[in-house]
Amino acid sequence: MAASTEQRQLTSLLSNATLSRVERLRIAMPRLFTDRRRGEHTSGRSGTSNEFSDFRNYVSGDDVRFVDWNIFARLNRPYIKLYMQEEEMNVAIFVDASTSMLFEGKFELACRLAAAFGVMGLFGGERVSVYGLNQAGRQPASLLNRTGRSSMASLFRFLESLDGGGDLPVEEGIESALKRHVGRGIAIIISDFLSFGDLRRAFNLLFSSGMVPCAIHVLGPSELDPELSGDSRLVDSETNENLDVTCSGDLVDLYHEYRQEHERTVSLLCRQRSGRFAALDSSTSVEDILFDMLRRGGWLR
Amino acid sequence: MSPFGFYSLTGAWLFLLIGPLVLFYFLKLRRPRVRVTSLALWRRVMADKRVNSPFQRFKRNILLLLQLLLLVLIVLAAMQPYLRGRASRIRRLPILVDCSASMAGLDKPGGVSRLAEAKRQVHERVDGMLPDQEICLISFSGRARKRCGFTDNKRALRAALEEMSVEDVPSSLDEALRIAQALALTAPFEEVLLITDGNLPEDVAVELPFDVEFHRLAPAGPNCGITALNAEKNREGSWDVFVQVDGSHDAPLGLRVLLSQDGQSIGDQDVTLVPGNGERLVFRVDGGESALLEVRLVPDGPDSLPADDVAWLRIPRSRPLAVYVDPGLAAFRHALAAMKGLVVYTDPPSESGASDVDLAILAEGSGEIIEAGLTVHVGGVPQALGKYVSVGSGGTEVVDWDRGCDALRHVELRDVVLIESPEFSDGAHEGDLEGEGYEVLVHGRRGPLMLWREHGGQAAINVLFDPARSTWPYRIGFPIFVANLVEIAMHEAGIAEIQAARTGVLPAVSMLPETSYSCHAPNGETSERTTDASGWLSGLPALQAGLYRLKGGAEDRAFGVSLLNLRETRLAAAEELRFDEHLSVEANETVVKAESSLWATFVLLALIVLLVEWWFYHRRAGG
Repeated sequence: MAASTEQRQLTSLLSNATLSRVERLRIAMPRLFTDRRRGEHTSGRSGTSNEFSDFRNYVSGDDVRFVDWNIFARLNRPYIKLYMQEEEMNVAIFVDASTSMLFEGKFELACRLAAAFGVMGLFGGERVSVYGLNQAGRQPASLLNRTGRSSMASLFRFLESLDGGGDLPVEEGIESALKRHVGRGIAIIISDFLSFGDLRRAFNLLFSSGMVPCAIHVLGPSELDPELSGDSRLVDSETNENLDVTCSGDLVDLYHEYRQEHERTVSLLCRQRSGRFAALDSSTSVEDILFDMLRRGGWLR
Repeated sequence: MSPFGFYSLTGAWLFLLIGPLVLFYFLKLRRPRVRVTSLALWRRVMADKRVNSPFQRFKRNILLLLQLLLLVLIVLAAMQPYLRGRASRIRRLPILVDCSASMAGLDKPGGVSRLAEAKRQVHERVDGMLPDQEICLISFSGRARKRCGFTDNKRALRAALEEMSVEDVPSSLDEALRIAQALALTAPFEEVLLITDGNLPEDVAVELPFDVEFHRLAPAGPNCGITALNAEKNREGSWDVFVQVDGSHDAPLGLRVLLSQDGQSIGDQDVTLVPGNGERLVFRVDGGESALLEVRLVPDGPDSLPADDVAWLRIPRSRPLAVYVDPGLAAFRHALAAMKGLVVYTDPPSESGASDVDLAILAEGSGEIIEAGLTVHVGGVPQALGKYVSVGSGGTEVVDWDRGCDALRHVELRDVVLIESPEFSDGAHEGDLEGEGYEVLVHGRRGPLMLWREHGGQAAINVLFDPARSTWPYRIGFPIFVANLVEIAMHEAGIAEIQAARTGVLPAVSMLPETSYSCHAPNGETSERTTDASGWLSGLPALQAGLYRLKGGAEDRAFGVSLLNLRETRLAAAEELRFDEHLSVEANETVVKAESSLWATFVLLALIVLLVEWWFYHRRAGG
């Protein structure tokens, strides 16, 4: 019975019920970055959509098909009727797949969220690209420029097959992915942002490429509230480096201060570039995140 | 001398455990590996921690340091450290223990006496003696006694302490301090420890060459007792017995006073005591034969001191005062004739048959020798004073006289004119007379006119001039003088007024001459004494209140000796002692401790360190 239920599921990442709800959601853009290609997002420019924009005087060479004849009949002067330009928006989803994301369901949550955002982009008519940032020195696994609901299956397959584990820092992964990415729009980065590197450079590159950076900071329960006592040797999961600590209440308090400061830093990097930031606990269900937290946070509409 | 010490220095070997502890610490220091997602945050946290920690190097091994501290505290506790008190820094210490009557006071019914408590504290002090310390024990009550010289022998000190017992006499500190002064000459010391209940005179006539630590014991319980007992013969020939009862401020208010004569009850009275004020009772007892009166006090409530609850008084056989007057002294004879209760003899006792003479008035130079309680020699200079005083004929008058003397009480001599003139020889002065045992009662213009002497328990007055050759017999002062003589004689004979004997020394007793007697004290002790050639037995110690029996030959006589001391009965405690040169010492009620043991403190500190270590490593963030 369980097997038959799984077979009927479109993907293991999202249940059908969740998927059907996700399909009706759209990504709310804090600031519109669009391509010149036609799409479903109205740009500030005049174009050829059905949405009226403005009037202007007729000048020689204008297409007479756009003359408003009703006004001409009343005023006996020709006016050209202008329409909004509808352009395409790119949704680039960066999924941190390094080893640090393999703890406590962070990577699974990241994939589910990526799937949800991808579905929203595909159903919203955006061009969706997904990048899996895992192994240093290699090109990130990517799914490029998918549009339309027909690409949903390939999106799910890509995310389901994405391997976690690696030592690629998230900032280097973004830089590497941007070398292949083309198009303006929104960049959704799902990561724990636990990196020794400088995130500012990666966010600057994103913004200069016409991408609005929106960061989803995923941490596990042990990272949010570490339980350490006495003398311990901490081992980095990615670099295998060691750090000896004598843990006490003061030390844990200091850790909390630094973790919150780190969140504030990433949040600031996003907001300075018209982006958004959300911090998540990996133990939270994807439904709560999508339909409650992100919706109330203005991420989705 | 170091303020610290250790009872068990061998415990210091346990410090060798530090080696294994450090070894095991580093062997054990294979920290558990905890795999974390990233050290990105942890590195920054640790860097911050080290930068902001002033003792970062210390904190890196804080666990080792805490364990070392724990071990050191436990080892120190095992070494049983102690802190020397001020007392234990003293090398030689004389301890003066009060053994007076009030030290028998119990703190509660069936409780411990003050002396037992003092002994317990001295025992503690002896037990806590350090090897370089010496203690000397001196007990004192009415007298002082060195029980044990300076020694570090604890067994000897304990034995000396056990010998101390309460003596039913008032306390006097002077003699004990003088013994301590004498000790200080050969074995210098800086301080004397005085352990007492504080019931002793506040003024001590001793100059202190050392400090006195006045340790006052906790007060005894409530007490009441008999503080005075005497009898006076009244006009009817019977005795008025006066009893004074008093008590401490918390004494039982109701009590009953029982009077018995030779074992037969003859009276009782109920008394209600007012705190701070004694109660005076009067009983009437028939005169006649000699009898022993016993006054016993039965309080309604608890009474901490039994020694003052009973007192004895021996009343003598009734008889008239026997007076012998030289036939030539007509003035005296006429004066005596007007007085009642006297038998005046003008013939010598050997001729008149009088067995005992209480007052003998003799003409100087008559050659008569009569034993009497009071002898008055009239009209000449005693042979022993012949080289200092002679009687001239120039006439003289009275310059001054001792108005406080019993014999000259209410006697006026100012207008007396004398034909004879006793005067000092060349170079002689009053001091020469005092050297011979005489005291000048009346001073003339050029020499003494009347002398007083006490010798061998008998008093004598020498009138150096002949009253018949003066105006004195015609003055009112003369019969008053004779009446005073009679009164003194009656007092000496004990037939007009008697006082109960107090503890200390038995009153002199007239027995058979040169006869051996055994004295049986109330506590069962027996001593042998022999009377002198006159039959007097004196100087017998009576340190316990009770009945003493003198047995020898066919004689068996009982003497009651009572405490009869208001201060001891009231159990009042002095707040401070005042010495000569305006020095004073305040009472201190805290227990004298030689040293304070510190092992419990170290164990407690070790426990606290253990708890701090546990809390430090296991506390939750924000907890």
